[in-house]
Amino acid sequence: MSLEDYRRDIEGCSRCSSCKWVPYNQIKSWRFSKNCPSIYRHNFHTYSGSGRMVIGLSLMEGRAELDETVAEMIFRCQLCGACDSACKTYRDDIDISEVLLELRSYCVESGELLVEHMAVIDSLKREGNSLGELKTARGDWARGLDVKDVNSETCDVLFHAGCRYSYDPDARETVRGDIQLLRSAGLDIGVAGVEEACCGGRAYELGYRGEASNYADDVLNRVKSSGAGTLVTACSDCYSHFQYIYPKIGKELPVEVLHVSQVMDRLIDNGRLDFKHELPLSVTYHDPCHLGRKGEPFTGVWTGDKLDRPMSLKRSGRKGIYDAPRNLLYAMPGVELVEMERIREYAWCCGAGGGVLEAFPDFSASTTVERIEEALATGAEALVTACPWCLRVFKDAVDQTSADLEVYDLADLALISAGVAQPASV
Amino acid sequence: MQTKSTDPKVFRRAVGPENVSTEESELEHFRTAGLSSRGEPAAVVRPQGTAQLREVILLARETATNLVFTSSAPPRFRGDTVPAGEGIIVDLSGMDRILRIDRRNKVAYIEPGVTFNNLIERADEAGLKVLMPLLPRKSKSVLACFLEREPIIIPKYHWDMTDPLLCTEMVFGSGDLFRTGTAGSPGGIDRQLKAGLAHKNPLGPGATDFLRIVQGSQGTLAGVTWATIKLEAKPTVHKIYFACDDRLERLVAFTYRALRPRLGDEWLILGARSLATIIAESPGSIDELARRQAPWTLVYGVSGYRYYPEERLAVQENELARIAQAVGVRPVPEVPSCPAKKMEEILAGPSPYPYYKTVPRGAFADVAFLTTLDKAGAMVEVMSTACDAHGYPPSELGIYIQPIQQGRTAHVEFTVYYDPADEADRARACELVEAASWELDEAGAFFSRPYGSLSRIAFRNCPDSVEALRKVKQVMDPDNVLNRGKLCFGEEVV
Amino acid sequence: MISDEAYKELEEAVGVDNVSRHPAVLDSYAFQPFENHESMPWCPRPVAVALPSTTQEVSEVIKACNRHNLKHKAFSTGWGLWCGPTTDDVVQIDLRRMNRIVEIDEKNMFAVIEPYVCGAQLQAEAMKVGLNTHIIGAGPNCSPLASATSMHGVGHDSIYMSYSARNVLGLEWVMPTGEVTRLGAPGSGKGWFCGDGPGPSLRGTMRGYTGALGGMGVFTRVALKLYNWPGPPEIESTGTVVDVMSEVPDCLRIFGCFFPDKDRLADAYYDIGEAEIGYNCLKVATPAFMMILAPHLFKKLKGTENLRRLLGGTLGQMFLIILAGISREDLDHQVDVLKAIVDEHLGFVLDAKNIPTLGSNLAMNFIRATMPALVFRIGGSFSTALGRNDSLDTQLAWGEAIAEIKRGYAKKEMIIDDMGDNPYFVPYENNTWAHCEVVYPYDHRSEKHLAGSSAINMDFIINAIESCMEPMFGVVPSARKVLSPLTSNFNRWQRKLSEALDPDQTSDKGFYTDEAEFDFTNVPPERVERLQKLVEDLTWTELGPPE
Ligand SMILES: Cc1cc2nc3c(=O)[nH]c(=O)nc-3n(C[C@H](O)[C@H](O)[C@@H](O)COP(=O)(O)OP(=O)(O)OC[C@H]3O[C@@H](n4cnc5c(N)ncnc54)[C@H](O)[C@@H]3O)c2cc1C
Ligand code: SF4
Ligand code: SF4
Repeated sequence: MSLEDYRRDIEGCSRCSSCKWVPYNQIKSWRFSKNCPSIYRHNFHTYSGSGRMVIGLSLMEGRAELDETVAEMIFRCQLCGACDSACKTYRDDIDISEVLLELRSYCVESGELLVEHMAVIDSLKREGNSLGELKTARGDWARGLDVKDVNSETCDVLFHAGCRYSYDPDARETVRGDIQLLRSAGLDIGVAGVEEACCGGRAYELGYRGEASNYADDVLNRVKSSGAGTLVTACSDCYSHFQYIYPKIGKELPVEVLHVSQVMDRLIDNGRLDFKHELPLSVTYHDPCHLGRKGEPFTGVWTGDKLDRPMSLKRSGRKGIYDAPRNLLYAMPGVELVEMERIREYAWCCGAGGGVLEAFPDFSASTTVERIEEALATGAEALVTACPWCLRVFKDAVDQTSADLEVYDLADLALISAGVAQPASV
Repeated sequence: MQTKSTDPKVFRRAVGPENVSTEESELEHFRTAGLSSRGEPAAVVRPQGTAQLREVILLARETATNLVFTSSAPPRFRGDTVPAGEGIIVDLSGMDRILRIDRRNKVAYIEPGVTFNNLIERADEAGLKVLMPLLPRKSKSVLACFLEREPIIIPKYHWDMTDPLLCTEMVFGSGDLFRTGTAGSPGGIDRQLKAGLAHKNPLGPGATDFLRIVQGSQGTLAGVTWATIKLEAKPTVHKIYFACDDRLERLVAFTYRALRPRLGDEWLILGARSLATIIAESPGSIDELARRQAPWTLVYGVSGYRYYPEERLAVQENELARIAQAVGVRPVPEVPSCPAKKMEEILAGPSPYPYYKTVPRGAFADVAFLTTLDKAGAMVEVMSTACDAHGYPPSELGIYIQPIQQGRTAHVEFTVYYDPADEADRARACELVEAASWELDEAGAFFSRPYGSLSRIAFRNCPDSVEALRKVKQVMDPDNVLNRGKLCFGEEVV
Repeated sequence: MISDEAYKELEEAVGVDNVSRHPAVLDSYAFQPFENHESMPWCPRPVAVALPSTTQEVSEVIKACNRHNLKHKAFSTGWGLWCGPTTDDVVQIDLRRMNRIVEIDEKNMFAVIEPYVCGAQLQAEAMKVGLNTHIIGAGPNCSPLASATSMHGVGHDSIYMSYSARNVLGLEWVMPTGEVTRLGAPGSGKGWFCGDGPGPSLRGTMRGYTGALGGMGVFTRVALKLYNWPGPPEIESTGTVVDVMSEVPDCLRIFGCFFPDKDRLADAYYDIGEAEIGYNCLKVATPAFMMILAPHLFKKLKGTENLRRLLGGTLGQMFLIILAGISREDLDHQVDVLKAIVDEHLGFVLDAKNIPTLGSNLAMNFIRATMPALVFRIGGSFSTALGRNDSLDTQLAWGEAIAEIKRGYAKKEMIIDDMGDNPYFVPYENNTWAHCEVVYPYDHRSEKHLAGSSAINMDFIINAIESCMEPMFGVVPSARKVLSPLTSNFNRWQRKLSEALDPDQTSDKGFYTDEAEFDFTNVPPERVERLQKLVEDLTWTELGPPE
């Protein structure tokens, strides 16, 4: 697909601005009614979902030329998908998220690259991860765990940790705990350790489609050789990429793909996991974009009139993973969930996505702070999320702003509640 | 432009000799009114229709003559029909036809000379009700009354400040004819009526609202030759209640809670003196009647309409009773010497002749302004203090508080009664009104309809508006022939 | 092009981050597809875009423009061709950063807001204190300030909450000269409770029936009337628009009222008005409802004659009404009255209480007016025949006449067939007057539809004049030129006021006072002649319209 393939979508935009707001029925206050971090920060219409589509049209029509500034406008966007699901409230025939991805690819193909993104890609190429870490340290997080190595053994469930969980010292413990918990529930789990590489989704989002394809091949091969019937990941980004980008680029994984929260939810359902430890905590839950609206599975490319596209094939954002994480919180004794105003398919982004954290840390931080303020407004003691990227930026923002708010990974609370980890470790 | 002596005879050309009068007996009505300074009317000219009015204005432009419109018969109290200096009175009271009453769309087409009495009668025959101000003069022109944004006593029907005035035909000071609202749509009125228009839309035409501009302009921008007026359905059942209290705040609290969901029909608050003045059958009984009233009386009406009228009435009564109880107010069916029925009759018509406010002492002066209901109490304080300072007993002050714009705004009217024959009394009233106006202004009173010298106070506060208004005046009345020197269009203001 | 010097002054006015002249940014403002009957969605590109955050900054931007002979054009949310520049020398002022609710005065029922507060935001905050705001039919994405000050103002709630122009209590206005003025009580420093006076009301220069559409400076604050809201502080609502589920508060009842014919429907409307009931009321055609909610299905089914007869005929004359009671007793009374009226006029009611999913779908969608953007789905665009609001009878007649015109075009496939009758009809102020526009969907990417839309628009104008209406779409320069001489010469006066208050004509006047010739390319010659004849017959003389 190319930008031109989306011309009809773009020309169909009525400029209603719905892509800038929480769906109107769900607006509960003046304060938390916006949904797009990019226009929230930069204000020009150009920075909205609609505005970026118009950039596309302007480029196609030769009215504007792609230059460094235009590229920056395109990349100052978390690809959070909020615009897309808000627009989809009204429109069956506009796929903003696809246009945003095409624009990035257009930039890369035209040589308008951001140095920070090139560094990410460089790291991917050299070390197989997006964080500039050493490939040799990739498997360190699992050291000492009693878990199968899929490079030499087969297993039922392949666990993909993802870049951030593998390297971020604040997150590593979480995935270790995940393994312990899943194993204690009787799952036959394997990990790829040092051989695990980035899922490649980041590369796709940054517009580097060739790289993305290579990494998808890598995962696909590993999944096949592991003999696993299920691929589990704790990372929301990876989850979204497995579910959406892979099939879209023809690399559909021949296994069931689950986020770890879904696995835990199932285990509770079938009685194999029990949250018995009291955890007196009021929490609010942040829906990671990639687990929520961008966690919807790919349903194919619709080439005809999109108005004829069946609802089931429309990416509305409402079929993401919203209930499993909440079910876990509800199941934890003592935990009280207080919702923020912007949740589920209209949740506000954490700020980390779309290469923004790497290229525009200030913009990323301001997006994060907005979410922290929303969490604080609920009166909850803790902000819980289910994605290591969200966790990272939330923790940093809380540190920087000295906000009176704890930040937890959902899995960590699950581990405590299940008695796998001690409260002190969170 | 300087006022210039004009031979009134020139206007014979426009209206015919029989419609130009220089009789002193007629002119004297326009020399002075209330506390206004003296003017010098040179003639009364009576156009018999729009075309003649237009001619009059064009002649005035040619001869640089000051024209002062009037539509009501005397007596007059405000001074807006007294020329500042010399002027010709353009009396439109003879244009007094009720051109049409449309029952289905609840609208009356009236000329400027139509008075409340005429209109009430005709509306009543059609099953409709005229939206009344509080006891207008019998001779008061309905059109002129609402052109002056006079408040009506049923706040729920007062959606916006132009109500109940709808569409108009007017002649600008330039001599150009204009029609506002849907009357300005393509085609003449007959054609428009055939097309089904009922002239209920007061806005426009286009992106300007000349009706709104002309409203409140005291004849300084245009003369209005006919208008449509919004009427309402006559209730099937209707009852009046009173709530008496020694604390205004309680009645205000009641009012806020009642008007918010549009409960009640008539809704007004009166001080004891005003109430007594309204209900008194003879001047001599006013003092005693005032003493017998509570300091504050809220008068309100409830209605039922064609469908389930009793049920509606009961719903209204019950809701209001609940609110009254919550705020500690007790609705009653009568006040001393005034049962509900009597009040119902009083509110439904114009004032007995000549005018209820002249009954106590022969003359009066009003200080009327807009504020919000919650500030009305503070305004009363300011006024009472001013009364004290001028030796005028606050207990003799007339007070009328009228919620408008469905309760969002309050028209507050203080009335100082005086004996016109007693120069000292007149002077005291004059001084009190002047001093109190400044103090009320200071306290936040908004003099939205400033008559006479009040203009100085009102326009001093808004130099930007004055600048804009003068530009508007220049457009509509380029030679300054309409009611020269009034409002902010005189030299002395700002 | 903007000179460096002028651009620098804009930067000084609003800060370097808040002004741009990059072509890509400018194009995102030149993109104005709605009511842009061209094959491409562009309007003239502004020379720069400025994003002021305060009244002072707006003033400085305007003054900078004036110093450099540049025009300015502001918008609040910017939806529609009328928001963009009409010439090549315009600085677009995007008021997005002026987004504060300055005050909600609960007791006196008004809010003071800035331009970029949207309807949904204001409603959400107002409901918390038991109040509600009028939301125009375009939707809660629009700016209540923009519709109150600058353009139209019709909404489903108009039966209870009036017309935006009539909801203004006070105004802050940066004049085209850059001077700041306030109208009404706030102009005298007395608070925001009244927008008129002292003396003549300058509100009449702010706008009339329609607004200046950006042609008369910039409105930076407005006090708007709020209305009673007897419901809860928040309506819990999940899902979005088409499959929304909201709790229907106990204080609301929702009914569809169906009548055998237009006359009976009209009689019922009049009676409902006199009974003074109703909180939200909208006449939509049943097929239109289907088209909006399920365009996919509609496309497939519209050839079915029986369905056409059922939806357009049997179920054709209907309105939806929401009753809101302040107590059980009050609500029950209103329900009794409604049923009696519908009964008397041989209609029947569909009580949403008996179809909970329907009620739950409609409640929030109507209270917040969230559905209109769905109309874009079927064709990608739509246009509308806006009449001139007046009596209910005229508006209903207008609806019928336009539907008839539309049928012809739909048959020729020059617009999308929506089964003809697609009125957006709302009564105002207890049904004492009303609005009706007739929507027609079309595909702006189809040349045939573009030709169809320009021809049909001419028919609308002709019909409007024949029906003695100055249609709301008279904001277009060519329509204005034709209409003004038949309509009090309103544009002559409008222009004089505009010249008085904007001596250098620095606001973009394209949608305010400019006039232009009609492009008759796609219009059949007999229609052109008809128009010319009407103009000949109805042009005002100095003594008014020919009677
Ligand atoms: C799809 C659609 C449906 C519509 N349906 C309806 C309807 O049902 N009822 C109705 O009344 N209207 C309707 N409209 C028209 C509507 O009134 C306008 O689009 C507008 O008033 C809505 O507010 P906005 O925030 O979009 O204003 P904007 O789009 O921002 O502006 C509207 C106009 O006002 C000017 N303007 C805006 N803000 C200011 C300001 N602060 N100072 C000076 N000028 C300003 C702009 O230049 C523009 O010309 C519809 C429009 C669209 C696009
Ligand atoms: S919501 Fe969709 S249609 Fe509306 S402006 Fe945004 S992209 Fe365009
Ligand atoms: S993806 Fe997110 S940041 Fe990007 S335009 Fe859409 S809402 Fe804004």
